[in-house]
Amino acid sequence: MMKKLLLFCTVLLISGCSTTVPVKQKFPEAPKVLLEKCEPLETIDKPNIVFSEFLKVVTNNYTKYHTCSNLINAWQEWYTEQKKIFDEVNK
Amino acid sequence: MWIINWLPEFIVHLIFITGIVGTIAGFVLGFIPFISKYKLPIQIISILLLTLGVYLEGGIAEKNKWELRVKEMEVKVAEAQAKSAVVNTEIVEKVVTQTRTIKVQGEKIVQYIDREVKVYDNTCRVPDVAIQAHNMAAKNIAPQEGK
Repeated sequence: MMKKLLLFCTVLLISGCSTTVPVKQKFPEAPKVLLEKCEPLETIDKPNIVFSEFLKVVTNNYTKYHTCSNLINAWQEWYTEQKKIFDEVNK
Repeated sequence: MWIINWLPEFIVHLIFITGIVGTIAGFVLGFIPFISKYKLPIQIISILLLTLGVYLEGGIAEKNKWELRVKEMEVKVAEAQAKSAVVNTEIVEKVVTQTRTIKVQGEKIVQYIDREVKVYDNTCRVPDVAIQAHNMAAKNIAPQEGK
């Protein structure tokens, strides 16, 4: 009788053990466009170059800088916005 | 509580109701001959059943509360995923448009150089040191000592 009572009490006690139901929230994947690397800057390989050609290389390099800067700004905006959305779920 | 997941809900309600009925029978209806004969066992079993019933009912209430919270959380996560996808699309569109604009502007500047600066090619010579300085800047290499 005592053994049965002990068994019953044990079952009753362990019935309080919890079973967890996790809800997983993943941080979003970055878009492929943002994963593109910045292009290396152009150099001048010819020893004698006319002024306009020199200026074109400089201009191309500035264009590359602006493209890369645009990408970095987009990365920052992407992270800020996504973090805001991610954090709102756990508020 | 794992036992709540395993045990059908109606059994828990049945245990609880049996406990209540038994307790009433054991303590109030003692004057009925059949009940008065088994009064003590009915009282003991009923109290045990009532205790177990209250315990399990509490477990069910807690489980329902958590399930509700899980559902709320799932809705929130789904909403966040939708918002995140919208933000992704907006940023990608913005980057693509701006990159295209930057390239177009660059091409226009090159055309401007061809049109306006080319005429100075014969009069304006680019010294080798200027080219070297440019290349060093492009590669981010500092000039060597003495140069």
